[in-house]
Amino acid sequence: MNQAPVSCIPNSKMSRPKKVIDEAKEIQNPELDLADKGIASFEEMPGLFNMLNITRLTLSHNKIQVVPPGLANLVNLEILNLFNNQIEELPTSLSSMPKLRILNVGMNRLGVLPRGFGTFPMLEVLDLTYNNLDESTLPGNFFMMETLRALYLGDNDFEFLPAEVGQLKNLQILVLRENDLVELPKEVGDLSRLRELHIQGNRLTVLPPEIGNLDLVSSKSVLKMENNPWVTPIADQLQVGVSHVMDYIRTETYRYVYNRHVSADRPPPPKTNDKSKKISRARQQS
Amino acid sequence: MPGISMSLGNMFCSRCGDGFEPHEKIVNSNGELWHPQCFVCAQCFRAFPEGIFYEFEGRKYCEHDFHVLFAPCCGKCGEFVIGRVIKAMNSNWHPRCFRCEMCDKELADLGFIRNQGRALCHECNAKAKAVGLGKYVCHKCHGLIDDKPLRFRGEVYHGYHFNCTACGVELNSEAREVRCRPGFAANEMNELYCLRCHDKMGIPICGACRRPIEERVVTALGKHWHVEHFVCAKCEKPFLGHRHYEKKGLAYCETHYHQLFGNLCFVCNQVIAGDVFTALNKAWCVHHFACSVCDQKMNQKTKFYECDLKPVCKKCYDKFPNELRRRLRKAHEQTPKKASV
Ligand SMILES: [Zn+2]
Ligand SMILES: [Zn+2]
Ligand SMILES: [Zn+2]
Ligand SMILES: [Zn+2]
Ligand SMILES: [Zn+2]
Ligand SMILES: [Zn+2]
Ligand SMILES: [Zn+2]
Ligand SMILES: [Zn+2]
Repeated sequence: MNQAPVSCIPNSKMSRPKKVIDEAKEIQNPELDLADKGIASFEEMPGLFNMLNITRLTLSHNKIQVVPPGLANLVNLEILNLFNNQIEELPTSLSSMPKLRILNVGMNRLGVLPRGFGTFPMLEVLDLTYNNLDESTLPGNFFMMETLRALYLGDNDFEFLPAEVGQLKNLQILVLRENDLVELPKEVGDLSRLRELHIQGNRLTVLPPEIGNLDLVSSKSVLKMENNPWVTPIADQLQVGVSHVMDYIRTETYRYVYNRHVSADRPPPPKTNDKSKKISRARQQS
Repeated sequence: MPGISMSLGNMFCSRCGDGFEPHEKIVNSNGELWHPQCFVCAQCFRAFPEGIFYEFEGRKYCEHDFHVLFAPCCGKCGEFVIGRVIKAMNSNWHPRCFRCEMCDKELADLGFIRNQGRALCHECNAKAKAVGLGKYVCHKCHGLIDDKPLRFRGEVYHGYHFNCTACGVELNSEAREVRCRPGFAANEMNELYCLRCHDKMGIPICGACRRPIEERVVTALGKHWHVEHFVCAKCEKPFLGHRHYEKKGLAYCETHYHQLFGNLCFVCNQVIAGDVFTALNKAWCVHHFACSVCDQKMNQKTKFYECDLKPVCKKCYDKFPNELRRRLRKAHEQTPKKASV
C-alpha cells in the first residue's frame, strides 16, 4: 500500500462489475472497488482471478454467498473487504495469501472458520464483526496469528475467550462488544501492547486482576466496559470512570474480592442480548 | 751510550752466527742483527720487499710466502684473512664476513648461536625458536612472550618493560598505543598509556562496547559510538547513518520510534510523514483515511459514524440493519462523546 493512489474509479451503481474490472485492467488500477454492485457470485466477475497486480479488492454490500478458493490466486492482495455479504464459509486457501494484511468479513453469516485458518503470514487486521462465531467453532491455530494488531469479534456469540489469546503479542485492538462473554481469561493481561479493549454488552461480573497490567487509561488508550452485570465495587468505580476501575482492580482489596467471587462459582448471569433480528441469522430464520 | 758499549767482537748474525767485519752493513730488527744477505724470507731466500715481513714460529717470511704457508681463507669471500681471524662454524672468517644469516648483523663482537647449521644472532635465534613454538619474541629482551604481546611502534614486547606515559604504572598487554598524533606521520611519536589513563585522554570510547574508536565516530545521546554499535533500542539494528530519533536517553529507528511514540497509519501501518488524520483513537495517512466498510476515501469534511472506533461513511451506515443502528445509537447516547481531534 505504499504506492501513490491511482485515479479512483467512480463507484456508480450503474456500472456493471465486468465493466469496472475491464476499466481497472485498462488503467492498471491495483485497487478494485466493487462495493454495492448487486453481485451474487464471483462468476459475475470474469477474469478477476487473473488480475494478479491488484492490492485491494472491496466487495462490501453485495450478495455473495460463496467465496471460491481461486480468490487466493491474487497473491498481491493486501486488503480484502467482504463486509455485508451472505458468506457462510471461507475457503482454507485464503490463509495462504502471502501479502494479505487486512481481511474484513464483518456482517456475514459465518458460523465456522476453516481448519488451519490461523496460518496467514502477514495478517494485521481481522474483522469478523457481526457473524455467528463462538469459541467452539474457532480453529485450533486461530491465535497463532502473531502479526495481528487488531481483532474485531464484536456482535458474535462467544461465551468464553480461549486463554491462547495471550499469544497475540502484537495485538493493539481487541473488540468483544456484545457477545455473551461470562468471563475474560487472565491471559488478556499478557497483551502488553493492547490500547483498545471493547468488552461492553456482555455478561461479565469481574475482571481478572491481570487486566491491571495493561495501560488502558492513557490518552492513547480506550477501555469500553459498559452494559455488563459488574459486581458492585466495579460498578461503583465505573460510575466515576474507567481509570478508577483500573486503579481499583490493581488493589489487594480487589484481589480478595475477585478470588472470593471466583471460588463462589455462582451460575453466570443470563443472556440478555436479543440476537433474533441479526441479519447474520437471516438464513436460519427463513 | 749503549751502542758504544757493544763492541764488534761480541756481535753475531741471528741467522748464520758469524761475526761482522768492520764497516760491514748490519741489519738491526728489534735488537737482533743480521747480515743483509741473511735478512731474507725463510721460504724464498729473497729480501723482503719494502722491508715488510711476517714472523711465524721464530721465522720470517715475505708477505707472499707467509700467506701461502700460514694465512687462513675466509669461509665467505675466499680471500686470505689477514689480521683478526674469526674461527667459527668450522671455518675462518673476516670479521666483516661473519654475519647472522637472518638479519646480516656482524656477529664477531655479539656472539652467535648455532641454529640448524646456521649462525644466528641471539635475537634471530629466539625469533626462529618462537616461530617454531607459535609465539612472539619480545623485541627488547628477546624472551618468549607467553601471554598476549603488547604491540608498540610496530614491534611486540612484554608489557612489563613499559610504564604508562601518564601515571607511570607498569603496563600489560591491555595498554593502548596512542597513534600518529597530528603533525607526526611516523609512529615514532606513539606513546603507551594504561587503559584508565587512555580512557581519560579524550580518545572516544564506544558507549556500547567500551573500546576506543579509531575509525568513524558517531556522537549521539551524549556519548561516542562505533558506527556499527549505535543501534535502535528496540530492534538493535545499527542506524549506519540513517536518521535516528531520541527519547528518554535512548535512540530508535524511525519505525520503532513511531511505533512506540508516534503516529502509524491504521491501514498501512507506516509512519505518517505528511498530513495526519486523527480520530477514534487512531491515525491515518492521507491515502488511507477511508470508510472502514466500503473503503471510499474521506476527507476532513466527510461526516462519518463510528462503530467499534472505526469510521463508517453515511452511505454504509444507512445500509446497516435497523437493529444494529438502534444499538449503536443507544451506545452513543450512553457514552460521553470524546472529542476527536
Ligand atoms: Zn743471516
Ligand atoms: Zn642475525
Ligand atoms: Zn639478528
Ligand atoms: Zn596510567
Ligand atoms: Zn563499540
Ligand atoms: Zn528499530
Ligand atoms: Zn496509510
Ligand atoms: Zn462506506
